[in-house]
Amino acid sequence: MTTSTPTLTDRYIEATLRRVPSRQRPDIERELRTSIADAVDDRLEAGATPAEAEVAVLTDLGEPARLAAGYADRPLHLIGPGFYVEYTKLLRVLLVTVVPAAAAGVGLARVLLRRDASAVVGDAVGAGFTAALHVVFWTTVLFTLVERARSPRPPTRRWTPDALPEPVSRRTRYAELIAETVAMVVFTSFILISPVLRFQTDGDGHAIGLLDPWLWDSGLIYAFLGLLVVSLGLSFAKYYVNPSIPLAIGRAAVELATGLTLIWLAVNDHILNPAFVAAAGWSAGATRWTTGIIIVICIGSLVSAVVNGLRDYRQR
Amino acid sequence: MLDDEMLSTHLQELRRGTVVLACLLILRKPNYGYALLHLLERSGFTVDANTLYPLLRRLEKQGLLTSDWNTDESRPRKFYRTSDLGEELARTLSRDWDELHAAFRTLKDEP
Repeated sequence: MTTSTPTLTDRYIEATLRRVPSRQRPDIERELRTSIADAVDDRLEAGATPAEAEVAVLTDLGEPARLAAGYADRPLHLIGPGFYVEYTKLLRVLLVTVVPAAAAGVGLARVLLRRDASAVVGDAVGAGFTAALHVVFWTTVLFTLVERARSPRPPTRRWTPDALPEPVSRRTRYAELIAETVAMVVFTSFILISPVLRFQTDGDGHAIGLLDPWLWDSGLIYAFLGLLVVSLGLSFAKYYVNPSIPLAIGRAAVELATGLTLIWLAVNDHILNPAFVAAAGWSAGATRWTTGIIIVICIGSLVSAVVNGLRDYRQR
Repeated sequence: MLDDEMLSTHLQELRRGTVVLACLLILRKPNYGYALLHLLERSGFTVDANTLYPLLRRLEKQGLLTSDWNTDESRPRKFYRTSDLGEELARTLSRDWDELHAAFRTLKDEP
């Protein structure tokens, strides 16, 4: 009974059947055709024109893809609630392990090949990005397939309260605080006495500072150390005072300021003393190297500051 | 004032599954998809055609409905009928519904 030009109904049925398993097609087609014809008849009796009736009935039935998914009993989502938690868990584990490993591996390989700093940093970041892309893509593909796999469903491990994360004890946090203080004291002392350390000396036997003298001339080194001291103070505040939003914002602001200052110094080549580099006979790449490493570390700590801030905020 | 979207979500959640029971009860007398759609609507169960037709096939696949093609009329129609297994499920679901109804009664009577 099909005419030479397919009607809207023909096209609708064709679009639906294309998406259901072939052995179900003849049966579904017969039933669907009758159902549509019955519905059209009802509308004709109610006074609609044939064209109006057909459009109205097909509109009511909705998108063929949706109807076909119903017939084929296919989910209309990539990853459903049954697997979502496992999916995000696996994704998180893979991202925090594979991505840094790939970046570090590629970075190390470039270092061994004695490439300059920008190439090392660029390739490491690129490798990390590519690895992240692959991890997310393939994990998603895997879970999408598992979601669509028919029974038997793999038994998901039953969750028990034993799996709850260990609370970070006050003792552990105290140890962290002490470590932070010690590191801070050592680091600050090193910076402050670095101009008189005699690693390299000029012709008159005077010490050549490792760090750019401009830092002292401009006074920026004191501002920077000041930021570090404030940051340490806030860490103590976090330990002894109840958490509050102003405190969290303060910590985030200081961490941001420290990171950005350091990045600015690195970008403008104000970290290493050029005279020291020359005296030590380091290659020109050394400065760029240091710059690259410092920028990467800063970006890492900025990201972790934001992540920690968000976590603290959510836990409140 | 109830938000329309929120209301429709909650109603949908509450009614999910009632269509299955209604189908099993109505199809004790054999009938075909389009007629069933009307019967359901007249009995107060709103269901879309694109939900009902696949649902009937799913119930048939699960052995809760049986089907027969009737080709006596001008259009071939697939008649569905509640099977013994479907009858058993209908009884269980009805009992559950009654128990829920009684439970709600108790909740509303004892503030």
